[in-house]
Amino acid sequence: MMMSRRFLSGLALALLSLAVTPAYAEVCAIDDAEREVCLPAPAERIAALSPGATELVYAAGAGDKVVAVVDYSDYPPEAREVPKVGSHTRLDMERLAALRPALVIGWVTGNPPEQLETVESLGVPVFYLEPRSFEDVASAIERLGTLAGTVGPARRESNRFREGMTEIRKRYADREPVRVFYQVWDEPLMTINDAHLIGKVLSACGGVNVFGGLERLVPRIDDESVLDADPEAILAGGMGEENREWLTHWEQYPHLTAVTEGNLFFVPPSLIQRPTPRLLEGSRLFCEKLEEARARR
Amino acid sequence: MSRLEACELVIDVPGRGDGRAMTLSLEPGQVWGVLGPNGAGKTTLLHTLAGLRAPRHGTVRLDGEPLAGLSRRRVARALGLVFQERHDGFPATVQETALIGRHPWLSPWQMEGGEDLQLAEAALARLDVAHLGERLVSTLSGGERQRLVLATVLTQGPAIWLADEPTNHLDLHHQTAVMALLAEQAAEGRAVLMCLHDLNLAARWCDRVLLLYPDGEACWGPRDTMLVPDVLERLYGQRLATAEVDGAPVFVPVR
Amino acid sequence: MHAARPTLGVIGGRRGLIRPLGLLTLAALAALALGVGVGSVAVSPGELWAVITGQGEPLSRTLVLELRLPRSLSAFATGGLLALAGALMQVLLRNPLADPYVLGLSGGAAVGALAAMLAGLGSALITGSAFAGALLSTLLVFGLAHGTGSWTPARLLLTGVVVAAGWGAVVTLMLAVSPVERLPGMLYWLMGDLAYARSPVPPLLLLVVVCLLAIPLGRSLNVLARGALQAAALGVAVRPLEWTIYLTASGLTAMAVTTAGSIGFVGLVVPHMLRLALGNDQRLILPACALAGGTLLVLADTLARTIIAPEQLPVGVITALLGVPTFLYLLYRSR
Repeated sequence: MMMSRRFLSGLALALLSLAVTPAYAEVCAIDDAEREVCLPAPAERIAALSPGATELVYAAGAGDKVVAVVDYSDYPPEAREVPKVGSHTRLDMERLAALRPALVIGWVTGNPPEQLETVESLGVPVFYLEPRSFEDVASAIERLGTLAGTVGPARRESNRFREGMTEIRKRYADREPVRVFYQVWDEPLMTINDAHLIGKVLSACGGVNVFGGLERLVPRIDDESVLDADPEAILAGGMGEENREWLTHWEQYPHLTAVTEGNLFFVPPSLIQRPTPRLLEGSRLFCEKLEEARARR
Repeated sequence: MSRLEACELVIDVPGRGDGRAMTLSLEPGQVWGVLGPNGAGKTTLLHTLAGLRAPRHGTVRLDGEPLAGLSRRRVARALGLVFQERHDGFPATVQETALIGRHPWLSPWQMEGGEDLQLAEAALARLDVAHLGERLVSTLSGGERQRLVLATVLTQGPAIWLADEPTNHLDLHHQTAVMALLAEQAAEGRAVLMCLHDLNLAARWCDRVLLLYPDGEACWGPRDTMLVPDVLERLYGQRLATAEVDGAPVFVPVR
Repeated sequence: MHAARPTLGVIGGRRGLIRPLGLLTLAALAALALGVGVGSVAVSPGELWAVITGQGEPLSRTLVLELRLPRSLSAFATGGLLALAGALMQVLLRNPLADPYVLGLSGGAAVGALAAMLAGLGSALITGSAFAGALLSTLLVFGLAHGTGSWTPARLLLTGVVVAAGWGAVVTLMLAVSPVERLPGMLYWLMGDLAYARSPVPPLLLLVVVCLLAIPLGRSLNVLARGALQAAALGVAVRPLEWTIYLTASGLTAMAVTTAGSIGFVGLVVPHMLRLALGNDQRLILPACALAGGTLLVLADTLARTIIAPEQLPVGVITALLGVPTFLYLLYRSR
């Protein structure tokens, strides 16, 4: 009910903005560094300096305006054809300048701050992104839509994402909790806490992160603490998309509930590792795995 | 010309009593020999007289002024030191090494000029090492290096020479040449004080002698009153045979 | 006896100052020209000339004047500072294998910078904190080496090496306990690169000032290189001079590290190569180090940002890859 009202108001706003926005009108949005970024007109040339930012700009319906990306910007597939300006850790400033972006999408904790400052000193506005929640992802899409002049498509996508996540939450809200360990990396062994986006996905699916209460966003742990927590299910990503090796590691502990129950699940990390609308698909997959675990009780 | 005085001087040898406080004056024209067994503190005395080590008690005065109150530059214009130990941090040529003797005479903004180069060349020639000018010091023999050290001090041109074993590593001919050079310096009105191991060189070339004992005892005076066989035997703990050759006493250790 | 003397003349009776320094200046200018002329985006020579004469397209002006020029100047200043600091440390420790980081300066700077990042401070404060860390390390090493008596170069060196190891452990500890989202920033800082350099003005200014200071100190340094006692006997006020060298070299290194992180090999290899080629007169070696160190780093940085563009390499990799074989060759050839 609430969703649909929000959807309608969003649509109305989009239509309104299309109707009343003159050809050259200033657009403004607040970025994740809490600064207001204003452009004299919606940006026609956008540089996205992280793979996640690239996905978000495409999600905002402004994919055809992306003129520069960085290494590993592999989604959507069209993004692979866009000129690259180095890696997100070390940007080729000359190529970036030569592509004449009107707007640069930076990554607060991923790009070197000095280089983003240099970009700004060249007179190119930088919009900093650092989504930490589902709502951050949705709002990032909308704000990018505002700056790119694609408010309508951006609204549609953000609403699709919001509604999808709401639906998931609703569907799994009353399901039996499943105690889960999510493995981010194997050496060193790392997991996530409840504040992490992946932790939020787990909660949405009715999972209980056994390490959710740890203080750090990505805590480093050891096998003993996993044995001690004895999760009902273990979910692991991995470097590649087909990598199950991390899971076989746990089979050496036959008393682990997750092992006796057969609840060792591989989840392709690409769907879940970036704060983008693909989280929706990743969440569905996560929830299905937890459902499988429940079914085995 | 300058004079160097020690007033109630006790040198600081760690772990040793004070011994005898020394009060003596190194006058222009004098050649002093410091004799003593290993570890008696000859080098320490030399460094203390040069102001490179603080004395335990007493003062050293250069032309009446306490050494500790003078700038190193002022001291270096009057005092030249021939060191025993050597330091080879970085490669350098013979000529460059001799030229650093001019350091105390040049202002920070000055480069060594032709006059300095002439002085260095003359000093190298005087010590018979001019032909080695372009060689690296590290490639020289022990005797050649010793002569280079003396040439550097000669380039410095001090009024007072403090020399630690100036004849170290030298063959007989060059030993004599170096002692003659130091005697010549004294004859020109400079003062020389040197630590020696060779009693016979002291007997031949020094006019004053200072005997330094391992316990800090010391005595000093004109050569002929100091170089007495039983005193020297006590100093070194070694029996000596004495003869006279070419007008000077010669001491030979007895088996 | 020591009246009027030519203020410029022979060094060591043989080598002039002017020829080697002139050649090195030409090399430095050529390297800077290359650094400004070459990049991952082509700017034609004609266009380059237009930019230099105050015309040219806005994009070319941006590339040349706002990206390449400041970066090349930062590279030059950083390389010069490191080589100069290395040469000074070598004289101070009477050890031709000393480098600017041997006394734990880069470790102290790294701990300062990482602590500021952990505290979530802004980039200007991170720079300030790194500088403070470097100077703290300097005072710590000097204080500890001084101990209850007096210090010797060997004791200073040993203290420095151990303190550097301590800083290394602290850096590792900080990385281990840092929140993941702060790790990338910390790692960039530790890697060190001119991509992260800011204004070239402070390091350039310091470089020029210290080169001028080195002229009157040069001959005293020559004497000091022959040992503290010898230097004192020749009229050098050894302790004040050693303090001056130590603080100057520390300041230079701190500035270099805060400009571009810790870049290896320049401070060791450049002074050593110049000593092999030009001898050991510090009045020649110090300005030559400033010029040659700067030249080397400009060339290395130009390679780093163009060789596999748009991928950018950390400049330390290039300095090591260029410096190590050259150094080994010179060592092999020398006596």
